[in-house]
Amino acid sequence: MPAPAHVLIVEDSDAVASAMRILVESGGHRVSIAPTIADALAIGTSDPARLVLLDVTLPDGDGLVLVQPLRAAGAKTVIALTGHDDADTRRRCLEAGCDDVLVKPVPARELVARVDAWTGG
Amino acid sequence: MNRLDARTEALTSVSTSDPRISALENQLKEAAVEIAELRARDALKTQFLANISHDLRTPLTAVITHAEILRDGILGELSPRQMESVRGIISGGRQLLNQVGEILAYARGAANQLTVVPSRFAMRDVLDQVSGLNESLLKKKRISLTVEADDDVPVVDADREKIAHVVGNLLGNAIEFTPSEGRVWLRARRGSAPGVTDGPESIVVEVGDSGPGIAPEHHDLIFREFAQVDSTPSRQHHGTGLGLTIARKLVELHGGKIWVESQLGQGSRFFFTVPLRQPD
Repeated sequence: MPAPAHVLIVEDSDAVASAMRILVESGGHRVSIAPTIADALAIGTSDPARLVLLDVTLPDGDGLVLVQPLRAAGAKTVIALTGHDDADTRRRCLEAGCDDVLVKPVPARELVARVDAWTGG
Repeated sequence: MNRLDARTEALTSVSTSDPRISALENQLKEAAVEIAELRARDALKTQFLANISHDLRTPLTAVITHAEILRDGILGELSPRQMESVRGIISGGRQLLNQVGEILAYARGAANQLTVVPSRFAMRDVLDQVSGLNESLLKKKRISLTVEADDDVPVVDADREKIAHVVGNLLGNAIEFTPSEGRVWLRARRGSAPGVTDGPESIVVEVGDSGPGIAPEHHDLIFREFAQVDSTPSRQHHGTGLGLTIARKLVELHGGKIWVESQLGQGSRFFFTVPLRQPD
């Protein structure tokens, strides 16, 4: 089991965020949730996260603008989680600097295993 | 240019001072405006479909993920009956998610927003992958599946995800319409569509079943959007009615053709072609 890490979940849907919190916390990690770009910047700079799980469609804009600032603040891994499963979105996420792109819903067990892998390195 | 535009242009290019002609010209102009409005409205409706399908994914993600948390025992073990109930939520949620995905694929196809992202792959791998996804359904209906690919089938350069989508839709229908204990099969061979002699080299994929068959007068209808041979409220088979329309769109996007050979009572054989290489 990897050491507990701080994981920032950027997600504007409370219902989705709460499911992800349960899954990530089940791996022993500490979770912060940011429903907007502004919240993500505030949390990410004051309490840097090892891993960021990023929804790209946020109420105050395109979540991809967060990739560089959160990395600069110390995030080692940034994963885009999107409801769009098209090639264009995938390309946009990777070009913005995300390490990987996953289409929601990610199966529960798979997310737990992946979070361990992302926080273990 | 579509037929109506062509006719409009041909007619409006006739220049004369006859008042009847100018009256007709006016009618044509009005019709052209009306057509443009209808097209704009159709585009709006397509965009709405795309937006709503995407927005439906978020609550569905919440439903499915929370149910999976319970199923996987992350919040404690469930009793067998609780487990059965939670599995029902997940299965229903996944079905809904697939249908939302089909509506989104249809909307993108209708708006010509689909592009081929080619990669090289063996058709056999796609047939195996899609078969694997349908394993539990086949088992439940006790339907036997055979997968065959001739040795001389070359690697294709096509959009693997979209070709898998086509095979998935055809196999899904074959399983849905074939009664228990029946037979379905997938086959890939070198070849071309009937009547095509000078086209590019292609692969023919066949998805066949021992189901009830489709009357020849319905062969065109089934590829049309929202069409179902039985559209009465008491129909036994459900779905968006978009599966074959999407399959046709995706096949045609690759420059291929899709068709069916079937008679009532004699099963159905769906075929589609994939050119070995995408045109530049």
